[in-house]
Amino acid sequence: MAVAVETLRPHHTIWGDALIRLRRNRLAVVGVTFILLLALGAMLVPYVSPYPWDRQNYNIILQNPSWAHPFGTDNLGRDVITRLLYGARTSLQVGIFTQIIVVLVGIPIGAIAAAAGGRMDNIIMRFVDVMYAFPDLLLIILVRAILGPSIYMLFLAIGLVAWVNVARLVRGQILSLKQRDFITAARAMGASGPYITLRHLLPNSIGPVIVVLTFNVPRAIFAEAALSYIGIGANTPSWGTMIRDGYEVIFAAPHLVAFPALAVGILMLSFTFLGDGLRDALDPRLRR
Amino acid sequence: MTALLQVRNLSTYFHTQDGVVKAVDGVYYEVAKGETIALVGESGCGKTVSALSILRLIPEPPGKIVSGEVLFEGTDLLKLSQEEMRKVRGAEIAMIFQEPMTSLNPVLTIGRQISEALELHQQMTKQDAYKEALRLLELVGIPQAERRARDYPHQFSGGMRQRVMIAMAISCRPKLLIADEPTTAVDVTIQAQLLELVRGITRELGTSLILITHNLGVVARYARRVYVMYAGRIVEHGTAQAVYHDPQHPYTVGLLSSVPRLDEPRKTHLSTIEGQPPDLIFPPSGCPFHPRCAYAIPKCSKDRPELMEVEPAHYSACWVALQKPTPWKKIS
Repeated sequence: MAVAVETLRPHHTIWGDALIRLRRNRLAVVGVTFILLLALGAMLVPYVSPYPWDRQNYNIILQNPSWAHPFGTDNLGRDVITRLLYGARTSLQVGIFTQIIVVLVGIPIGAIAAAAGGRMDNIIMRFVDVMYAFPDLLLIILVRAILGPSIYMLFLAIGLVAWVNVARLVRGQILSLKQRDFITAARAMGASGPYITLRHLLPNSIGPVIVVLTFNVPRAIFAEAALSYIGIGANTPSWGTMIRDGYEVIFAAPHLVAFPALAVGILMLSFTFLGDGLRDALDPRLRR
Repeated sequence: MTALLQVRNLSTYFHTQDGVVKAVDGVYYEVAKGETIALVGESGCGKTVSALSILRLIPEPPGKIVSGEVLFEGTDLLKLSQEEMRKVRGAEIAMIFQEPMTSLNPVLTIGRQISEALELHQQMTKQDAYKEALRLLELVGIPQAERRARDYPHQFSGGMRQRVMIAMAISCRPKLLIADEPTTAVDVTIQAQLLELVRGITRELGTSLILITHNLGVVARYARRVYVMYAGRIVEHGTAQAVYHDPQHPYTVGLLSSVPRLDEPRKTHLSTIEGQPPDLIFPPSGCPFHPRCAYAIPKCSKDRPELMEVEPAHYSACWVALQKPTPWKKIS
């Protein structure tokens, strides 16, 4: 029987579509959930935990996990789970703030190089090559030495080594998009160069950039942990610092290394799952 | 009759690794106000390049417009600055592209893409431009325009997208519309609808139209005059009627006889033009068509024929066409 057919499909924007596809990806959902829970824990820990992160109690050093201290205590008698959640603040901040720097530096430089073309492109990209070839660790140590030990300088240092990938990606994206018919069509309608770059080229290249940024986050987190491990990282609680401190007593209290190491691993994995999910969700060829 | 656009001796070359490709080599044509002309020829004969050259959209390098004039209302477009040229594109001369599937920006809604040109050229406010975009969508026959304007290109079929392209092209009421094989990418039933739509709109607005096509059936119905291109040159030019019924160039004869016809007894083979289009880096000596020509005489391989008036108002670049009667038979 012919009923009045509902011809109107639900209306989705491109981002709405991507969100729907992201939600279908179980691993990505798990990753996002873990990240959000960790962020929530990091925000609420001062109000929830009965222990400040720096309270030392020499009566209970190196205790194994118990009801009072679910993840045990460290060699100064500090509560490990509290410190882990404070460390999550550092890790998440590093992950996010470095990517803001990457976005602010990498995208404009890549876009300018690709849009200008010719000699300008060549000069910019050779500079990017130099930055790319420069040893990351050396640059970070240099920046830390010059700019001081503040955590914001750590973000800056890690951000300054990470933007080159994004600049290259944006440039490549725009160079290939430039050949597409709709760009010629936009030019035939009288659009100017900068207008085409901002309105047509950049929005079309943003999908892969988001994916790369998401994959960059775990690398930044790992970089921070590694720097803290060798002692030039954060001076607030950090998973890298905790691993280093725990390493000294690894046989007496293996949980001091195990928990922060697990935390680094799971958080990195979560962002990787999220990045994977985003890549699939933002790829229009996989539209179903 | 005053000419709106005059293309004179236009040459566009591409500098490639293997040599200079003379994609367009000394082309002349003109369009009067409100007139529709057709540019016909095989793939790769320079039709699209000559159209892109008018708008100066040739990618440079490797391409370069090496000589000629493109007079639009008396102004040579090739001498304008980039800024002045931008004001011509879209507002005075607009173009409909061949591939509707890839000629729309996938991340902008249909409504935004149409209103874009209006904001650029007519300094309309966003709201006014959007309203106008909706009106244009209705004009080109998109149902539920208000709703569909919020859709993205991937939600449109090929024919619908070409309608959107038409709406974009006419949004600023250009004086000249260039339609570059507007119907090759859509199926036959849609082709006719789209062409009727374009014809209706150009008539209503008094817009001139350059129809680039390889479909001779289309030419007969829509164009008043026809320019036949071969190897980057115009080889024949006349009214559609004359070119159809009394072709004066063996290439045109070949094109016409390779159109499949329903009213003829079924043949086992379609007739084709033997051979390949010439290499545009090393074109053959003399007439570029002589290696494929069934009527070639010794002179054809030595001297290159220029466009000559072989009948009143009917031009051909062929030595053989000067002989009367011509060796090929008239097509009725």
